[in-house]
Amino acid sequence: MNFEHCIRCTICVENCPVFRVNPEFPGPKQAGPDAQRFRSDRERAEDKWVLLCSQCKRCEMACPCGVEPAQIILMAQQRYGREHPRSLAHLMFANNYYLSTLGSFTAPIANMIAATEMGKKAFRAMGISTHTPFPKFRFRKLRNEKKNLNRRRKKVAFFYGCFINFYRPDIGRKIIRLLTSLNVDVVLPPQWCCGLPALGNGNLKLARFFAEKNAASLSNYIDAGYDVIYTCTSCGLCILHDYPGILKIPQGKKIAENSYDVHEYIIKLINEGYAKPDFGEVRRKIAYHIPCHLRALEIGYPAAKLMSLIPGMEYEIFDDTCCGLSGSYGFKKSNEATASQLGNRSISLIRKTGAETIIADCGSCRMQLGGLSGLTTLDPAEILCESLGITGKK
Amino acid sequence: MSVTDYDVVIIGAGVAGLTAGALLAERGFKVALVTRGEPTACLSTGGIDVCSRYDNPLLGIKDLPPEHPFHFVSEKTIRESLDHFQTAMREMDLPYAGAVEKNRFILSALGTLKTSCLVPSTMEAAPQDNNDNIHIITFKGLKDFYPGYIISRRKKTGFSVYDAGVYSTMSIASHFEEKEFFEKFITWLTKLDIQEDKVAFPAVLGLESASEIVHTISVLIGKPVFEIPTIPPSMPGRRLFNALKGYFRKKGGTIYWSWTVTGIEKSGKIIEAVTTPSEGRPNSINAKAFILSTGSFVGGGLTATREAIMENVFDLPVHVPGPRDTWFENDYFSLNHGIGKAGIIVDSSLRPADTRWENIFTCGSILSHTEILKNGCGHGLALATAHVAVKSCMEYIR
Repeated sequence: MNFEHCIRCTICVENCPVFRVNPEFPGPKQAGPDAQRFRSDRERAEDKWVLLCSQCKRCEMACPCGVEPAQIILMAQQRYGREHPRSLAHLMFANNYYLSTLGSFTAPIANMIAATEMGKKAFRAMGISTHTPFPKFRFRKLRNEKKNLNRRRKKVAFFYGCFINFYRPDIGRKIIRLLTSLNVDVVLPPQWCCGLPALGNGNLKLARFFAEKNAASLSNYIDAGYDVIYTCTSCGLCILHDYPGILKIPQGKKIAENSYDVHEYIIKLINEGYAKPDFGEVRRKIAYHIPCHLRALEIGYPAAKLMSLIPGMEYEIFDDTCCGLSGSYGFKKSNEATASQLGNRSISLIRKTGAETIIADCGSCRMQLGGLSGLTTLDPAEILCESLGITGKK
Repeated sequence: MSVTDYDVVIIGAGVAGLTAGALLAERGFKVALVTRGEPTACLSTGGIDVCSRYDNPLLGIKDLPPEHPFHFVSEKTIRESLDHFQTAMREMDLPYAGAVEKNRFILSALGTLKTSCLVPSTMEAAPQDNNDNIHIITFKGLKDFYPGYIISRRKKTGFSVYDAGVYSTMSIASHFEEKEFFEKFITWLTKLDIQEDKVAFPAVLGLESASEIVHTISVLIGKPVFEIPTIPPSMPGRRLFNALKGYFRKKGGTIYWSWTVTGIEKSGKIIEAVTTPSEGRPNSINAKAFILSTGSFVGGGLTATREAIMENVFDLPVHVPGPRDTWFENDYFSLNHGIGKAGIIVDSSLRPADTRWENIFTCGSILSHTEILKNGCGHGLALATAHVAVKSCMEYIR
């Protein structure tokens, strides 16, 4: 661990969204490298405040010395999770995949219960915030889509992630159609939750269980000549960063080398001359909210690059603001105030530009910003589809 | 067609790099900027020091040792670079006051007067001598600012303490941008009935709209209001960085964060691309020319070992100021540490000397013989040399 490289410059503190609004959190410098010097294996972890870190990784992006405060804090979070009983909310969100599977089998009932006052009361009693409306489960999950196996050259295995699968399969279908229109053959490999919710809720074991299953599946496809593409930037970060890193997945490196963000992949296709999309005009004034985990992927902002090729598009990039939700983080009652303050701050900056639509690669960012502002929120892939005349319907 | 081929790639997101990038983008070049982290500009007081040794920075520059990189910049370019900066910052709602012929003072957190050339408008009303009586407003529990230091130097200074409910510069600054907090604060402030000539605050008056907040407070209480820069985290430094970053993007530049250059692709005397490891496979960005503005030691441009000093990106030859025992003086606070002269030696077009690469240009504090602490020339030198590097870079590309 490289905590000793910290020169105490506090640039990470300036970048920490939680520190900005929650005085209970001592900031990445103190919670990370500073406290690390005092953590001993022979003592029980008493640093409960590490749970207040949302793992946005902004501190790591900002550090001029290559220290990774979020990683140090993540380790401390796992350790705290091991040594202390976990709250019901932590347990539920760690197992979100199973709950969501159940939820989407019973979509209308599950949605109805979640929306009633009784349901909300029950959630609050478990320490779950009802400030942001829950996403609605959809009956027809993406997993049930028919595989499309044409004999075309480029082949990709699409890791769509839980959000698309359970809540927005329509976006998943659009992405498949988008790639197909660029002569790419898309398959949906067997897949499970990426493991990030389990990791974020202090359950390393469950995270590794998911990661091992996914890794075995994706690795097979890579061996068969497929590239892996992901659309959820947090799934992507977990696969690229945490599989070979904290989760120590043997195939981690191979998977990281062969996985692409969907927009990064389209740029690759264009650069190689494989695809020549003819982008049509889209008259929209949008605010492009950059998810923290897209920043952390270190691939630049590929969707922004693609949108710059669309005539008529006016967009402004917002990458200084965290939406505050951070997956399940903002759904916990203890983080409710942090999440809503950060979300409202992002929105007030977006409103200043007069944008009518918010674009974000991450489903939970869209949920938060759309829920708090009432503005339309779209995935960047939806804009590309609009420009290329691809509709959701077959 | 490749959508990730650029005319110029800038390495380093400090004042020099972002300025060079914006200048090129304004002239229609395709520019990308790659950076490992955030720049030391975030830690600065936000003031633009051109040459703080003299009352008139232009005369001060003439008196600098002949090797100093300021001598590669004409007076006309220095003026242009400061004008361009002031225009750009006005456009980003972060106006700067001052002129190149005469330095100004900002009040430091220790109560001394610090010389600078251009200062953020939030510090414009700072006393220019020891006569003005000031009243300091500080915040309960704020560890980074003690009015006692200032009062020990300016005896007639009064002070009041406000309980903001939060205790760090960052969180107080973000509260100032909330309407409810602001109104409550103003009610408290007007009740104080301050008698002194001017009202001073530690620099916590907002992040995005600081100039407006200072102006509003000043109008509401009918007295000049100014900020005093604090130790890092420094809000004025962050505002400067945000404004430069926003301006670069507004002109069409692209930024790649956390993009540490670890390799190059080359052909003969030309560097064709820079690469970064990223999480799996290496990513590379192609360009016709590269501007190196990675800063000196703290910024990450240079690394010193016991034996040598290295440039971290292209391994360019570095001017080493004598044997190691001459790098540091015994007095820790000395401004004459020999190490201040370390950096890249360049020709008058700011192209590194003694290297085979034809398409690299450098600017900012990575240049040799700057002695920034001693000469008080940090951001000013960055702006001026960015203009020169951009000019040479454009001539090269054409």
